Amino acid sequence: MQVTVTVNGQSYTRDIEPRMLLVHFLRDELALTGTHWGCDTSNCGVCTVLVDGLPAKSCTMLAAMAVGHEIRTVEGLERADGLDPVQQGFMTEHGLQCGFCTPGVMMTARALLDRNPHPTEDEIRRAIAGNLCRCTGYENIVRSIRWAADNASAEVTS
Amino acid sequence: MTATTDEATVGFGRRHRKEDARFLRGKGNYVDDIVLPGMLHGAVLRSPHAHARLVSIDTTAAEAHPKVKAVITGAVLETLNLAWMPSLSADVVAVLATDKVRFHGQEVAFVVAEDRYSARDALELIDVEYEPLPPVIDATRALDPDAPVIRDDIEGKTDNHIFDWEAGDAAATEAEFAAAEVVVTEDILYPRVHPAPMETCGAIADMDKVTGKLTIYCNTQAPHAHRTLYAIVAGLPEHKIRVLSPDIGGGFGNKVGIYPGYVLSVVGSIVTGKPVKWVEDRSENLMSTSFARDYHMKTSIAATRDGKIRALKVDVLADHGAFNNTAQPTKFPAGFFHIFTGSYDYPAAHCGVKGVYTNKAPGGVAYACSFRITEAVYAVERIVDCLAHELDMDPAELRMKNLLRPEQFPYRTPTGWEYDSGDYPRRCERRWSSSVTPTSAANRPTSGSAAS
Repeated sequence: MQVTVTVNGQSYTRDIEPRMLLVHFLRDELALTGTHWGCDTSNCGVCTVLVDGLPAKSCTMLAAMAVGHEIRTVEGLERADGLDPVQQGFMTEHGLQCGFCTPGVMMTARALLDRNPHPTEDEIRRAIAGNLCRCTGYENIVRSIRWAADNASAEVTS
Repeated sequence: MTATTDEATVGFGRRHRKEDARFLRGKGNYVDDIVLPGMLHGAVLRSPHAHARLVSIDTTAAEAHPKVKAVITGAVLETLNLAWMPSLSADVVAVLATDKVRFHGQEVAFVVAEDRYSARDALELIDVEYEPLPPVIDATRALDPDAPVIRDDIEGKTDNHIFDWEAGDAAATEAEFAAAEVVVTEDILYPRVHPAPMETCGAIADMDKVTGKLTIYCNTQAPHAHRTLYAIVAGLPEHKIRVLSPDIGGGFGNKVGIYPGYVLSVVGSIVTGKPVKWVEDRSENLMSTSFARDYHMKTSIAATRDGKIRALKVDVLADHGAFNNTAQPTKFPAGFFHIFTGSYDYPAAHCGVKGVYTNKAPGGVAYACSFRITEAVYAVERIVDCLAHELDMDPAELRMKNLLRPEQFPYRTPTGWEYDSGDYPRRCERRWSSSVTPTSAANRPTSGSAAS
């Protein structure tokens, strides 16, 4: 089937099998490999992308279901003037180690801050409940998101 | 946290890491991100049984799939002398099962296809007939006289015993126990755990038949050990093999081991003449790759009534799964387990470790690179807690009474380790005075058998 999907503001048309998962569409068809494939079962969150601004597990969503929606991936996080505050927060507060869960956590964080610019620590922790990190970086991840909230309008650097 | 983040230090300092720039932009280079021209995709058919005889495999329908390029079975590998590979612990591991399957999730067949979905479709077209056998799941039953023999591939094998290893002085330890005022014994189980890195294991093998060179992209933590093994199985000199270990999405020891999937991607590339990518899914990672722990530790401590430890002994039953594929760099079959004497001063100690086969995934030492130190520390600290409970003594006071003193260094332990330096009492005093005292009843063990 032919689908046209908007990812990071750009429209892509591809012929795909109807069963193709969004995560494989992004990775294999569009070469946007920042979105990772970790568990296939919506548990781990490394495949998290934003669908119309809300976090979704792209391993349990068909690419065809993305038609007519705005998909945003980690590749679309950086702004024209530099890193998104979330990215800068992760760098400043060491919110990543191996980096495999990081794109998913950052997308979840972006969605949280878009809806709630000043979350409490509890709200941050609840928001990332669907994103696992095995390098045990939750403390630093929470600090990173807090940094992004506190520096939403900070001058960005790369 | 009371300190501000500017003042607080983290383990690796405040320096920006050079890899963060690409990770934060989604530009990491993990093995599944790599695409080579003409690359094919592999998938592994796995056993649904823990223990079963392989009666027949029919791959006709899978081979007829329009997008399938090759279907490889154990029988095919046997003709290439590749059905078994050496393990990292003087054993062999089945690359694909030929005679029996020995754990749930064991590799039975490998399909190479044009894309990853087709490869998995074709797995469902393979018809395998199994004759189920009684499995050995409980390690404590593995050496029962009537236990089924798992490794009948080893000539003359009549039981599930792998090795016996000991450290320390058994006679001196028994003498201390015979004369002891108090003896406490506890069966301590450190159960099997899985490291579960966020990124599963995977590889891309690219065999260039013209130059005879093999290139493998693999998310391994031990590329040099991998190269040596691939040289052995592929019959190539090491200088013709290049192992590239790109960004790794967590390892924790899980990615030290050499798994059949890696070797199968090499075989797939040799057979098809194309690069072959194999990346396992989460279920495969959990059911078939290296575990940690699985130590049944019968631990006994001998002491005087006033709380001076005299001796410690541990008898370990080590569950190594279906193949002894422990991946650890020590020369001891139980790693550094004989560090179990801990930080305490007493004259005698002994440990015996018995390794057994069970119908579980092989592996052994993974996770936090413990090399069995984690198990050892758990055994000694748990039994000291049990002793404190038996003596109705403050566990902190009991420890303080038995800690090595600074003037004893360098100190040789009863199992042969040399400790070079330390001031354990001062360290403990500092720690205990700045935190909750461990005296509370909540910290006391609730069980523990004793004899005096």
